Amino acid sequence: MADVIVTHNWRHRTLFLGLSFIIVFARLLPLDTGPGQFPGPDLLVCLAFAWVLRRPDYVPVAMIAAVILMTDILFMRPLGLWTACVVLGYEFLRSREPFSRDLPFMLEWTVVGTVITAMTLGYVIVLAVFAVDQPALGLTLLQMLATIAAYPLVVLFSARLLGLKKIPPGAVDQLGHKL
Amino acid sequence: MATDRGNSDEYVRPIRRILVIGLLTFLVGLFLLWRIDSPRAERFRAMLVDRFVPSMDWALVPVTKVADMIEGFESYSRIYDQNQELRRELQQMRAWREAALQLEQENAKLLDLNKVRLDPALTYVTGVVLADSGSPFRQSVLLNVGARDGIMDGWATTDGLGLVGRISGVGQTTSRVILLTDPGSRIPVTVQPSGQRGILAGDNSALPPVDFIEDIDRVRPGDRVVSSGDGGVFPAGLLVGQLVTGPDQRLRVRLSADYERLEFLRVLRSQSAERIGEPGGLVVPEFEPEPRKEEDAVAQGEAGDG
Repeated sequence: MADVIVTHNWRHRTLFLGLSFIIVFARLLPLDTGPGQFPGPDLLVCLAFAWVLRRPDYVPVAMIAAVILMTDILFMRPLGLWTACVVLGYEFLRSREPFSRDLPFMLEWTVVGTVITAMTLGYVIVLAVFAVDQPALGLTLLQMLATIAAYPLVVLFSARLLGLKKIPPGAVDQLGHKL
Repeated sequence: MATDRGNSDEYVRPIRRILVIGLLTFLVGLFLLWRIDSPRAERFRAMLVDRFVPSMDWALVPVTKVADMIEGFESYSRIYDQNQELRRELQQMRAWREAALQLEQENAKLLDLNKVRLDPALTYVTGVVLADSGSPFRQSVLLNVGARDGIMDGWATTDGLGLVGRISGVGQTTSRVILLTDPGSRIPVTVQPSGQRGILAGDNSALPPVDFIEDIDRVRPGDRVVSSGDGGVFPAGLLVGQLVTGPDQRLRVRLSADYERLEFLRVLRSQSAERIGEPGGLVVPEFEPEPRKEEDAVAQGEAGDG
């Protein structure tokens, strides 16, 4: 019985890793090498937050940290800082997850938007304190807004296509533990 | 119920919290390490990228090609017009080529007559663009040539039309090219024909501005911008682009390289140029003549007489 749950979890974890890989891959494709494009949303953060607010057991913190750290390395960002921001946001949302089960989606979106805003501002401020060269603030804020705007789409995708639902109140797993 | 936060196991939660705090400490430590010892961290990054990206090579290249083909497919509708246009252009080019060849021969003859020595010919390594920076804030591409092919940090990169950027970060099989449009890119340039020096500073826009031009009045939009070779980093005389006036009335450069289509890049092998370090000393005999006693005496006597 335990094996069933374990494989079930791992199947979703592999799915998450696969999706992250596709996102990173698409970002790395050298299709548009010219500058001055509109900065797209950070889909990985959307995906992580959408999943943790639905099934936190599918996305353990170590996996999130590993994926985001990998993008830190590949996308030439300062190592570790954005990952730390995402982990903080993730932990905050994870601790609120039991309360957000019966919240309407608009409220969930507001909470996620606030968390992403706080993460971005924290990131920018820490970089400024450490005197690291930064892209223009406007671009960073644009990306933040794009990320927040993309969140409902990612939720829709996860819920409709991948069947990721919120845990209903009082649900138990196969072992009878409360989820 | 309200205080029950998900995983209510009494043992799991504190351990998890400790692990998360440990993870955060590690990440912040990594950031501090990156900030303190940036070159080492960047080498580590180049090493990891070198391990990771070439393994996606098999997929990156075909997907890019297919996407390019789809884009190219859209232009098939006007392929006939395009063909005619290209033929006309080719005709003109042939005439130009003939002229260029004649001029080259003439030039070579004149140079030979004048005993002019040119820069040693630049040889190059050609690489395929594997991936871009993945971030809208950084402008760089990853090439599939690296230390194995003798690539070194700081070498210039062109796409055949103009300067593209310089190597910054070399792995065993990959190397990263910081494009001229990257906010961190600073290249010394000369504006021809006036010969004014300036610095081309990338700012994440398609038209990077030129700073520190001494005499603004002597340059005008349309002038050619070439690399100047100041600082000994770059070979001199590589075409960068043309001067234009940006929407903000700053002097900017329209880059010659085709930044929308970076597929193959040439990395120019720069021989480290000999540099003239110090001002010349006095012209004196290389070894001092041994002073002889009589001469000394005579010299003193003469000095006394005078």
